[in-house]
Amino acid sequence: MGRRAMNECGVYVWSFRMCVWKFKEFIPVLQLDPLSSTDLAFTLSMGSSVRLYLTCIRNTLEAAMCLQNFPCQEVERHNKPEVEMKTSPELLLNPVVICRNEAEKCLIETSINSLRISLKVKQADELENILTKKFLRFLSMRAEAFQVLRRKPVQGYDISFLITNYHCEEMQKHKLIDFIVQFMEDIDKEISELKLSMNTRGRLVATEFLKQFI
Amino acid sequence: MGDVDEQMCADKPLAVEHHLYEFGSLQYHIQSYVSQANQVYLSISTHILSIGSSTLHEFPHYTLEDVKRICHEVVQIVEPTKPGYQLTLKLDFTKIPHKKDAVKIITKISSLQSIILSTQLRELLKNVHDQEISQGTYKPIKLVYHPNEPFYVIKKPAKLTAVFPIRFKEHSDMVIAKAFFQELVDVGNSGVCARAPPCCWSPIPPPELRGEPMRDLSTNGGFVSFELSARHVEGKKLDKTVWNLLNFYALVKYHVKSTKGFVQRRMRSRLESLVEALHHTNMEEDHNVKKVTGRRGVKKLIKFTRNAILKKRWNLTKKIKRIRSRIRIIGFRKFQRRWLKLPSFSSVMSYQKLDKS
Repeated sequence: MGRRAMNECGVYVWSFRMCVWKFKEFIPVLQLDPLSSTDLAFTLSMGSSVRLYLTCIRNTLEAAMCLQNFPCQEVERHNKPEVEMKTSPELLLNPVVICRNEAEKCLIETSINSLRISLKVKQADELENILTKKFLRFLSMRAEAFQVLRRKPVQGYDISFLITNYHCEEMQKHKLIDFIVQFMEDIDKEISELKLSMNTRGRLVATEFLKQFI
Repeated sequence: MGDVDEQMCADKPLAVEHHLYEFGSLQYHIQSYVSQANQVYLSISTHILSIGSSTLHEFPHYTLEDVKRICHEVVQIVEPTKPGYQLTLKLDFTKIPHKKDAVKIITKISSLQSIILSTQLRELLKNVHDQEISQGTYKPIKLVYHPNEPFYVIKKPAKLTAVFPIRFKEHSDMVIAKAFFQELVDVGNSGVCARAPPCCWSPIPPPELRGEPMRDLSTNGGFVSFELSARHVEGKKLDKTVWNLLNFYALVKYHVKSTKGFVQRRMRSRLESLVEALHHTNMEEDHNVKKVTGRRGVKKLIKFTRNAILKKRWNLTKKIKRIRSRIRIIGFRKFQRRWLKLPSFSSVMSYQKLDKS
C-alpha cells in the first residue's frame, strides 16, 4: 500500500478518534458498547429525547466529514468512493452505529474520500410501516434530485446517503450536516402528519357514509 | 341524468348514442333517432343479484313491475331488449311536464339502478324459507353482486345483519382499509351517528357464518358487519339502505384509491421542499465581505509661496489658542488680563524719550 495513504489514514483515524472521544465526554449518557463488525457503537438510554439522538449524529458527522480526493489505488485514472468499494481496508474507518432504540438507528461508515449514512426510521404500527416504505422509496427513486441520496438503501436500513469529497467541495460542510439532521426530523414529522391525515379522511368518509342511514 | 336532460332541452332533433360505464360493471346505453325526436331508448346492463351459486340472466318479474311504476306514462319497457342488455326502456319526452316536475321524473329515471337492486333484495329477503331456520336465526343468505365479492345477509327476528368479507390483492391497500374500518367502528359507536346501524370489524368470521365454504371465508381484510333494525328499512329509507349496502365494496375501494392518490400528492410536495433545502447548501458568495477598491493617488503640488507659509502659521497659532482655551470660564479673561499678563519689557534697541521738565 502506498506510504502516503498509510500516513494520511493514520492521521485521519487519529483525528476522528479524538473527536469521537471528545464528544463522548460531552454527552454523559453515551455508553461504549462494542457490537459485531463495529468498533464503536453508542447506545442511548431510553429516557433520552430525540434531540440528544440528533445531536449525537450531528457531532459524529462533524467528526467524520473530513473527506479528501483520493484516486483509486487499483485502477488507473479511476476515482471511486472507497466506502462503497471496500477494497482497501486501510482507507476505511470503523463504522459507527448510533441507536436510539431497537427500531431507530443510524449507521455512519467513513472512508478517506466518502461517507455513507444509513437511517432506520421508527415504525410503530403497520400503517406507519407502509407509509415509511412508500415515502422513502419515492425519495430514493428520485435520488438524482438529491445529489447525496443513494438509490438503494443499505440492507437492514430504510434510506442511505452517500457523500463524497466532491459534494464537500460544492456544498458547505456544516450546511450539509444541517440538511441531513433536518431531513431526519422532516421524515418523522411527515410520516406522523400523513398518518393523521389518513385517519382524519377515514373518519370523515365514515361519518358521511353512516349519515346516509339516518 | 345529464344526457336525458340535454336531449330534452335541445331545440333541434338530434341523433344521439352514448355508452356510459359506472363503477361496479354497470353499463348504460342511450340512443335517440332523428325520425323519433321525442323518444329516447335507455338500455341497462348490470349484475343481477343472485342467491348462492345460482346466476340469473334476466330480471325477475317483480323488478320489472317496480320499474313500470316509476312513471308509467313516460317509461315503457321495450321487448325484445337491445342485444347485450337486460332491460330496454322507451322514454317519451312529450309526456314529461316542464320545470320542477321534469327534474323529479328525470331523477327517478336516473336512479333506475337503485330501484332494480332494492326490489331484488327486498324480494329475496321476503322469500326466506321457514325450514331454513336453525337455532333461532335463519340460514345466511349469500348475495353475489360483484363477481368474486359475495356478501352475506343474516335475517334475525328483530334485526338484519349484513356481513362483508374483505379481500385486497395488495398489502398496503389492506392496511389502509383496516384503518378506515377502525374509524368506521369508532364513528358508529360515537354519539354523532347514534341512529346509524352499529358497525363492527373482526379479523375472523362471525359465528353466524359457520358452515359456509372456506373459499368464501378466507380473507386478508377481516369481516365488516352492519346490524340493521326496522327503522333503517322502513319507507323511503329502504332504497337508500339497500343502495349503501350493495355499494359498500365500491366505497371502500374508492376510499383506498383516493387515499393513495392523496399520499402521492403529499409526497410530491414534500419532495420539492426537501430539494429546495438542499440547494441552499451550495457555496454562496459571502455578501458581508466588503470589496476594497483602489484609488488613484493624486499628488498634490505643494505651494511654497510666502503667503501660504504665513497663512499656515496663523492657522497653527489659532489652533493652539483654541486648544488652550477649551475650557471656558466666565470672568477668567478679565482675571487673565489683569494678573496673568506678562509685563512688556523695552527693547535694547529702542529708547524712551524723556520729558523736558
